[in-house]
Amino acid sequence: MSFDFAVILAKGPQILAGLGVTILIWVVGTALAVALGFVVATARRFGGPLVNAVLAVPVEVLRGTPFLVQIFLLYFGGPYIGLRLDPVTAGLLGLSVYGAAYYSEIFRAGYQSVPPGHVEAAECVGLSRGQTILFILLPEMALLVLPPSLNMSVILLKDTALLSLITVPEMTMTVSAIGSQQYAFVESIVVLALVYWGLVELANWLGRFTERKISKLSVT
Amino acid sequence: MTWSLFQLLLQASLMTIFVSAISICAGLAIAVVLSALRMSGNRLAYAGAGLFISFFRGVPLLVQLLLIFNLLPVIGITLPSLATAIIGLSLCTAAYQAENLRGGFEGVPIGLIESAEMAGFSRMQAFVYIRTPIALRLTFPALVNEAILILKSSSLVSVVGLVELTKMAQNLSASTYQPLPIFASAGLIYLVINLIVALAARRAEAALPGLPAK
Amino acid sequence: MTQSAISIQNVSKQFGDTIVLRDINLEVPRGQVSCLIGPSGSGKSTLLRCMAGLEHADAGTITIEGAPLGFVEGPDGRRRQSAAELRRARSRIGMVFQQFNLWPHMTALGNVSAALRRVRRMPRKEAEDKAMAQLEKVDLAARAHHYPSQLSGGQQQRVAIARALALDPTIMLFDEPTSALDPELTGEVLNVMRALADEGMTMVVVTHEIGFAASVGNKVCFLDHGRLLFHDTPDKVFAAPRNPRLEQFLDTYLDRGAFLVQ
Repeated sequence: MSFDFAVILAKGPQILAGLGVTILIWVVGTALAVALGFVVATARRFGGPLVNAVLAVPVEVLRGTPFLVQIFLLYFGGPYIGLRLDPVTAGLLGLSVYGAAYYSEIFRAGYQSVPPGHVEAAECVGLSRGQTILFILLPEMALLVLPPSLNMSVILLKDTALLSLITVPEMTMTVSAIGSQQYAFVESIVVLALVYWGLVELANWLGRFTERKISKLSVT
Repeated sequence: MTWSLFQLLLQASLMTIFVSAISICAGLAIAVVLSALRMSGNRLAYAGAGLFISFFRGVPLLVQLLLIFNLLPVIGITLPSLATAIIGLSLCTAAYQAENLRGGFEGVPIGLIESAEMAGFSRMQAFVYIRTPIALRLTFPALVNEAILILKSSSLVSVVGLVELTKMAQNLSASTYQPLPIFASAGLIYLVINLIVALAARRAEAALPGLPAK
Repeated sequence: MTQSAISIQNVSKQFGDTIVLRDINLEVPRGQVSCLIGPSGSGKSTLLRCMAGLEHADAGTITIEGAPLGFVEGPDGRRRQSAAELRRARSRIGMVFQQFNLWPHMTALGNVSAALRRVRRMPRKEAEDKAMAQLEKVDLAARAHHYPSQLSGGQQQRVAIARALALDPTIMLFDEPTSALDPELTGEVLNVMRALADEGMTMVVVTHEIGFAASVGNKVCFLDHGRLLFHDTPDKVFAAPRNPRLEQFLDTYLDRGAFLVQ
């Protein structure tokens, strides 16, 4: 047995392009997921019991089914109801909605961690609902929400690899394609694994760094 | 979408449950060994276990499965896809479970170890009979989470050629051109399995004997 | 000369910069109850933990029934005992902790029989019979199949005593055995200890129960700031305390009405 990594590494620019797509989808997808998750959690917190119950259904469905099944349903099933998306859009949409379900739970736990008395106090001094969320609730729950949020973003980074199965030209797709062309599939997967490993460890390190910085702001 | 198609999905879901259950148990066993290595006081064992955990938590499961599936034959090991799937899932979940267990082992009050010491237990005996069972009980909720995660992640083993629920759904959707109802049904089956696991776990947890105080 | 059950010579210990034991010398006579009293932070628990081999003295020697504990003297100075040597050296010691330290995943019977089965390698039936006999002795046979979380603090501590007794110790060490208990539960534990003392068990008890020390103790040792200020029979210690530190210490207990000497 002999490994030839040179033929893989020779395709550096292509690999980097795939890495770029992975990072782009990850960053944009995570940002959208956080935003949507926050909206859902806020609606569930302040929208009354009916909204809370109705929104619980998609959240539980998204959390209870595999991401792979979700993107297959969206990408292969979508056209049958007139939702014809290109792979990147489908992947981005799928990742955002899937991530949003988890982020909404993170924010929900955050909202629950703030004592109701603080919200009442804010209302008593005349803050509007929006001001209460922005100036009271968000800062109070930030420290609690940060670690699971960072953790979730790393999970989403790894889940972008699944998008290769709906032909999104991200890193897994790109590198394994190179491997097939060059008859060096094992080598390509080894390279792929190492790049992901490095990327995830880097993201973890950045996360820990951020947590350390932020936790210094803690007042309690 | 007909009843017979749904039945095929149900049959395939048995494979999903089987692969997940075996992997969770094997992963737990490996995780306990990894924890023992990390707490052994041996630097090499500590570093090795740490590297294992970092790798399997750092690489997407899809890539791990592709790696195992393609690497093993090259080094002369040919395994059926079922075995490959179980190995892949077990190693991956072992890394996550070891990370969960770390918290559990740290949560075992020192006094319980001291009382084992005074009762004459050796370090190894205390690890096996006292620390591990208590750590497992402390991390039971995390274990259930991990089980549900693995049930969902098992959808990826289709890439090593095993026909489980997701792969069956893919096959059926390709042959019947009905991806929408078929993938929706598959999703529903996953949802129901996970619900059952979660409910069963809640009942089991209520029945488990007490956790250490504090 | 009869050999002491425990002999402590010139034992000192410090944690970091804090000196917790200063040159302690103490003989624990066989078949007697020795009580260690003193304010919190006086080092009494640390001294007891040294006798159990859970802490290592920085200097001095402790011998259990004539055999060294914690260290062995070699040709080139002393060295720490290996884990196996330490286990052998303290195999005749039973220990009861303030926090009971029962294993939460085992029933009362499981707690008492675990070491018999795993350490003494007894068959399950034999181990459980013996454990059951110990539980009967502390009047908890009816609770044998309860988990610690289903028992009151007093019951848990009695199970802990049974667990220690099951291994047939010749010396029992008690580290504030009633301090974690609600006041109304201390009696049942103290009664078990009293019965044990009547049987002639060698006991060392770290306690704040001055009444127990006065009525059951054969010897009371007063520690303060890591020093063993003095040790004597309870009537000598309590009847006419001449030491200002001891007087001050006892005053705090007088308020609680725990001072029960003639």
